[in-house]
Amino acid sequence: MKRTWERIIRENRETILHRWHERGLDLFTGKMAPGTPLAEALADGMGMILDGFHNDSDLCHEGVLRVTRILAVHPFRPSRSLSLFRELSAILQETGGAEADASFCRERIEETVFEAFDRFMEHRETIYQLKVEESRSKMHMLLGRTGS
Amino acid sequence: MSKYVAKQADLIREMEEKPSTLKGDYAPREWWEMPVEFHEGNFCFPAKPEVIEDLGFANPRKWIATDDDWKLPDGWEKTLMDAMRERLKKYRSLKLYLDTCVRCGACADKCHFFLGTGDPKNMPVLRAELVRSVYRGDFPMVDKILKGFAGSRKLTREVLKEWYMYFYQCTECRRCSVFCPMGIDTAEITIMVREILQLVGLNNNWILAPVANCNRTGNHLGIEPHTFVQNIESLVDDIEELTGVSVNPTFNRKGAEILFITPSGDVFGDPGVYTMMGYLLLFEHIGLDYTISTYASEGGNFGFFTSNDMMRKINAKMYHEAERLGVKWILGGECGHMWRVVHQYMSTMNGPANFLEEPVSPITRTKFTNAKATKMVHIAEFTADLIRNNKLKLDPKRNNHLRTTFHDSCNVARGMGMFEEPRYVLGSVCNSFHEMPENTIREQTFCCGSGSGLNAEEYMEIRMKGGFPRANAVRHVREKHDVNALVTICAIDRASLPPLMRYWNPGVAVYGLHELVGNALVMDGEKKRTEDLREDPMTGFEEKEDDVD
Repeated sequence: MKRTWERIIRENRETILHRWHERGLDLFTGKMAPGTPLAEALADGMGMILDGFHNDSDLCHEGVLRVTRILAVHPFRPSRSLSLFRELSAILQETGGAEADASFCRERIEETVFEAFDRFMEHRETIYQLKVEESRSKMHMLLGRTGS
Repeated sequence: MSKYVAKQADLIREMEEKPSTLKGDYAPREWWEMPVEFHEGNFCFPAKPEVIEDLGFANPRKWIATDDDWKLPDGWEKTLMDAMRERLKKYRSLKLYLDTCVRCGACADKCHFFLGTGDPKNMPVLRAELVRSVYRGDFPMVDKILKGFAGSRKLTREVLKEWYMYFYQCTECRRCSVFCPMGIDTAEITIMVREILQLVGLNNNWILAPVANCNRTGNHLGIEPHTFVQNIESLVDDIEELTGVSVNPTFNRKGAEILFITPSGDVFGDPGVYTMMGYLLLFEHIGLDYTISTYASEGGNFGFFTSNDMMRKINAKMYHEAERLGVKWILGGECGHMWRVVHQYMSTMNGPANFLEEPVSPITRTKFTNAKATKMVHIAEFTADLIRNNKLKLDPKRNNHLRTTFHDSCNVARGMGMFEEPRYVLGSVCNSFHEMPENTIREQTFCCGSGSGLNAEEYMEIRMKGGFPRANAVRHVREKHDVNALVTICAIDRASLPPLMRYWNPGVAVYGLHELVGNALVMDGEKKRTEDLREDPMTGFEEKEDDVD
């Protein structure tokens, strides 16, 4: 099954990526243009996920890390951000048709969504950590001003 | 139940009911009919009432952008329209920039905030249109008659909210102006709109608190003179511990040849303090006759983000102090907007400073003719000249643990055209340097996303989005050349790029140029160096067993 999915994705990579990327760009206000740095970075991350999809490789994990890093700074709800990964399921199953095992695809999508959730939350925590550290640094400066 | 569990009703509301140009009722409407929505992470906290009172500014009160009632003063519309009329008469550039845009869209995809947020109102052309549409509606007669057809509108509370949101999502970096065929400088429009918003009490605490501090103690951080001295003295102790060399800065010394002024972040903030250590080592190395002022203890000028009058006042302090101390000229540290103010505004605003001398390097005798009017020389130029004339003993191997790239600070690059000097210095003090892609450096450099007083912690999400294009370019050299050090010559960059790198490019640290100079300088009487100024080990300089007693 892995090999079937690997072949399907390899043969239809451009179409799948294009459709999935379009869905990703729809998330942004006014729909983001595909040629912008953010859109290209999103496409790079998505491409990595596709390339490592069949065997759960490091490439796939890196892709998930990158895509969620982009999504986590935007004001979408987490569920809306992660819905992007569910979109891939429909696209893949439409592309694979009857020839591919839908259960393998569903399982991999589920794993990817769970991983994306973890990464998304890590990125959100990083943002809050950065805020806390800047506040702490400001407090340090206030103490320093007193000459202590 | 976790707040992150999807709630179907909320999702439906968000996906279908919230305004978007792509959806339902909003599709056929005009851009200005899209409502403005403030939420956590997309606005800065307004200035505290006591800060506004300190400065004598309008409408001190407690409020926040998410409030329904912004507690605007009576007649706020008239105040703003009168202020706009006054400035259109006073500044011909503003009128020119409002009149000449042909909506070609060349600037649209050049703004880092548009590229990072995807919000159409962050296209420079559309951001300017927010104010241009009001200007058109109330001023030129033809458009007054044509009204809606010409895209004009009245100044309402909703419009005011748009101004407050989007003119504080512009860092005045001027990248858009590089690409504008009409030469429109949208930053000048932002500067003017921010200035008139102050008149009804719409402001930003991260800007006004430093301005109030600067009025009170001479620097943005509000450091009092004795603490300012103590801090530099503690850096002197650190230098001695690390290098075995004793450096001897003087303070408020009359008759010194040069007054050295740098942003107060270099005295107090991490990693700015390491850059300060680099300056101190450099001055000791060449035996410079200089002094540091505890009155003009700030090179930065947040007045620039407030109003022209405030910018002028804060800038004047440096020159008053230079005159009082009787120095010949001023040497300025690594800063962004300080240099834009000095280079672009000072000579007509407060100058020319004819009570000072045309700067001449006491070491090389090079005359800095470019500083004839301002009498102020950029440290990167000064150091590049020293290196060019073989006046520095440098060992670039001491920076071998760093694989560097250089971030051109917007104000120094686009504001004064300084591209080569910092690269020349960097190339002389380290062995590994890789440029980011061509369309992200020099005059096309991308902003850090936090300039012009937007470096507030509550604004982190917008900062991460606005800084994305810069971070993306750093990612490129990191993946291609394993770059681990982002070098810059701006104090705001040194404060804002570390979190940006930590989010987008973990493992890339931010350095000031003169920190690397300080690492590479071979000082007379120094002890064996094994660590850089951050106390990180230098590659190839590790302590050997024979060295240990």
